[in-house]
Amino acid sequence: MASSPSLTEIDVPSSSPSLLPPPSGSPLANLYNRLASWRRSLELPNPGTAENLQKEVKTTLLTNFFFDGARADLSKSLSVNPIFQVTHSFALGSQTTPPSYNFGAVFASNSIFLQGSVDHDGNVNGRLNQGWSANNVTKAQGQASFTVVTVLSSQAGHSMLQVEHDYMGQDYSVNIKAVNPSPIDFTGIYMGSYFQSITKNLALGVEILHQRPTPEMTESTASYLAKYTGSDKNWIATAQVQPAGILQATYWQKLSDKVEVAADLQLIAAPTRRDAIASLGAKYDLRMSTFRAQLDSTGKVSALLEQRFAPAFAFLVSGEIDHFKNGAKVGVGVMIESPSMTPEEMGMMQMQTPSQP
Amino acid sequence: MPSEDTKERIIKAVELGRTVLHYGWIPFIIYIGYTKSNPQPSLIKLISPLA
Repeated sequence: MASSPSLTEIDVPSSSPSLLPPPSGSPLANLYNRLASWRRSLELPNPGTAENLQKEVKTTLLTNFFFDGARADLSKSLSVNPIFQVTHSFALGSQTTPPSYNFGAVFASNSIFLQGSVDHDGNVNGRLNQGWSANNVTKAQGQASFTVVTVLSSQAGHSMLQVEHDYMGQDYSVNIKAVNPSPIDFTGIYMGSYFQSITKNLALGVEILHQRPTPEMTESTASYLAKYTGSDKNWIATAQVQPAGILQATYWQKLSDKVEVAADLQLIAAPTRRDAIASLGAKYDLRMSTFRAQLDSTGKVSALLEQRFAPAFAFLVSGEIDHFKNGAKVGVGVMIESPSMTPEEMGMMQMQTPSQP
Repeated sequence: MPSEDTKERIIKAVELGRTVLHYGWIPFIIYIGYTKSNPQPSLIKLISPLA
């Protein structure tokens, strides 16, 4: 309990140094101010959020981008400022997912971000981010589907609601999150994380997961995070440990402007199950294309090429060979972006803008 | 602990909110986007994949 008031006391001056209150006579306030100025003088960077611990690795590795079968994404930018975009996505012939059609809409201005998508079955996904200031963001995301008819919808099968709040301080980040919270008996999943820069390179954090599936049953687990960033920010090593015996370690390095490599190791050493998966990937950002290749310890070799033929037209080819299971997957896709205005309209817009109030 | 009556009302309100968001979320985004866009797009471009 004692730590939370002191934290908030320190936060206020650190986020707005110009509003620092004059030191009062109280020795306690003096101590706070001295601690706060000492903390500021360390000039520790913000470590980023706990959720983004492995962001660089995730964007480099192929796992999140791989697809098979055929797919087409037609997106239309209807407005640039604020951003307003609608997307029609078609997917067909995948080995793992049934054919689908998906309509998505995105609206984003400086402080708010709204996103929604609906598929051919009528399942709706939604996302809302509201930025209160540069350091405070509230996020909500939800899912609703037609297949569920139960009394408490927010807890049922496909319906989901997640609310979270991010606060980014000068040298730390805090996140609180609730998944399917029930206002009646407070069941649901609650998460809290605190991530603090210790030196200019090293950041340590803790994440508490509190599960409460029924009012009688509660369970808390903690996991520990560490992130080490190279001095010139071109390599990052992270680790996440759960005392139950799960370790996820990643390493990311930027070799040049165009090449990034990433490695990921997941270890499970629980009494009932022992398993480990390692993956190694590389990403090449060329002038008109992006190429990702990946190799993992389950015997899969995969690659994805995203070739942009024109600013508004991209062609994707992906492939995966599973050497242990003797399987293969192939995917092709197109991404077509159509601007809202013809070039003539753009020109007219630019001529009109100065006269508008 | 709230009474049974209150509980039932909360459950009904949650269910109603979920239904409203389920049907209304996409139209809501499109409405916001349509009214705040600069310049305002035509409706046919908004819905049709080909236009």
